[in-house]
Amino acid sequence: MLALLFILFAGLAVGCAIAMVAQRNPLYSAISLIGVFISLASLYVMLAAPFIAAVQVIVYAGAIMVLVVFVIMLLNVEEEEHRVLRPRYLVPGAIAMAAVLFAEAAFIISFVGDSRNTPATSASDVGLTMSIGTGLFTKYLLPFEITSLLLLMAIVGAMSLARRGALLPTDARVIPGAQVLTRSIVDPEAVGDATPVITHSTAEAAELLQEPAEARPASRTKDTDLE
Amino acid sequence: MDWDTLVYAGFKLTGIMIVFAVVMGIVAYTVLAERRVLAFIQGRLGPNRVGYGGMLQPLADLLKFIFKEDIIPDKSTKFIYFLAPIIATTAALMTIIVYPFGPTVTLPLIGSVQLVVTRFDVALLYVLGITSVGVYGIALAGWSSNNKYSLMGGLRSAAQLISYELSLGLALIGVVLQSGTLDLYQIVEQQYGVQGMGWYLFWVQPIGFIIYLISAIAETNRVPFDLPEAETELVAGFHTEYSAMKFALFFMAEYINMFTVSMLATTLFLGGWNGPFVKQIPWLGPLYFIGKVVFFLFLYIWLRGTLPRFRFDQLMNFGWKFLLPVAILNIILTATLQFTGVIDAVNALFKGWLGFLG
Repeated sequence: MLALLFILFAGLAVGCAIAMVAQRNPLYSAISLIGVFISLASLYVMLAAPFIAAVQVIVYAGAIMVLVVFVIMLLNVEEEEHRVLRPRYLVPGAIAMAAVLFAEAAFIISFVGDSRNTPATSASDVGLTMSIGTGLFTKYLLPFEITSLLLLMAIVGAMSLARRGALLPTDARVIPGAQVLTRSIVDPEAVGDATPVITHSTAEAAELLQEPAEARPASRTKDTDLE
Repeated sequence: MDWDTLVYAGFKLTGIMIVFAVVMGIVAYTVLAERRVLAFIQGRLGPNRVGYGGMLQPLADLLKFIFKEDIIPDKSTKFIYFLAPIIATTAALMTIIVYPFGPTVTLPLIGSVQLVVTRFDVALLYVLGITSVGVYGIALAGWSSNNKYSLMGGLRSAAQLISYELSLGLALIGVVLQSGTLDLYQIVEQQYGVQGMGWYLFWVQPIGFIIYLISAIAETNRVPFDLPEAETELVAGFHTEYSAMKFALFFMAEYINMFTVSMLATTLFLGGWNGPFVKQIPWLGPLYFIGKVVFFLFLYIWLRGTLPRFRFDQLMNFGWKFLLPVAILNIILTATLQFTGVIDAVNALFKGWLGFLG
């Protein structure tokens, strides 16, 4: 029964992985990758690690791949029209990598075959939430904290890269729907004019800039980016 | 495959079938209730011709959906167009197996049974994971239809789901901190308190409950957060191009999602099947549970009849700049109270006072 399930999920994982590489439509590739993640989660469940399985689905299938699908949908990448010819010198590299992969697989298979009779050490509660939590906050506290620091740095980095307003003066405030910017930024003609323009709508901003509201293109307001 | 395994599998399958039937029945009648209650709020009558007081209306609707023409847009991405409603409905249905409907009851012939289909260590994470996969149904439907309104609806919906899932998850962490487990059955059992009234809503988690409620309404794309389906702007949002049974699947998924988030709210904050005298008469448990869930469903309909729609930037600002910080504060507060032992002390005090009741 377990072997049958293993063959099912492992086959699904391998099939989805091949489909991911072979598909020409990027969205199909992304969906195949989601399939790989979900089959892997099922395999984790069979290995008595339900926590890892749940986290796999939440983080990879649910969060990261949503972003990938999002980007593909927004950019609306077309199918590859014709395959780009890859440089010749990549072929031996690919063969070498494949050889390493097969060697690794062979080593693991032979290793597992040798040590089949060694008893699993208290495998009953390794994958459970309680044991993972205890491990994270006692034995592996330092790596855990370093990882969290790394993630925090990544967040701050992404913020500072994504905020185009980072170059604006400190008194400028950018909020969708109610923007306060210095005049030199709002109006390209008023160079060096630092008086803040306080408005709550596009019409008010146009009035302040002595410009008819109709003449102002909608794309000038930053809040349209979100939609 | 020995006999015991077969009996076990049959038992579980029966459980799943019963839960499925109950959920689908309630979902069908939620649709009817929504139409009748909304009509009442707006001074109309609503569907009242099919059967007594419109009781057979869901059946009539189903027949209509089955026999309608199924239109597939020419320029759509066919495979994904077919896949999207399946993902949406499957993901919505998959979570119903973990909710405990009642305490251990005794059935004739079978013996004592726990009224829950399955229990496992990470039930709460399972619910969150499946919910997050459900986003694909909507996003892919919007994309594959090859229609700008659908795409807008799908993108809005995905953005909204991602934003509000954060505060939803953080609101749940308060409960997990207090209960110390992710198993929904144990969480419910811990809320017995005095005469089944030790609900987490009353003990420490009122802020978490309100955050959960708001995020849950946003998660299910309901008024006042129904931006993805805003009729005045987007025709019908992500399911504009869907017709007949495929549309029905999306429709069903939305109502099943409403039902499951209501069940989660009941389980985590309103004590699940707990209530007065549930220890003496266990069959009161399922009644209490269904009653609380129906209360939430009514709340949904009530809100739809009362509130106007948010603007998209208001929605995003509210989610990220208000709900998320409050949820984080709630976690800090719960953790402090838990760590300093205030919760345990208060619990002991109340148990001492009201001990003669329970």
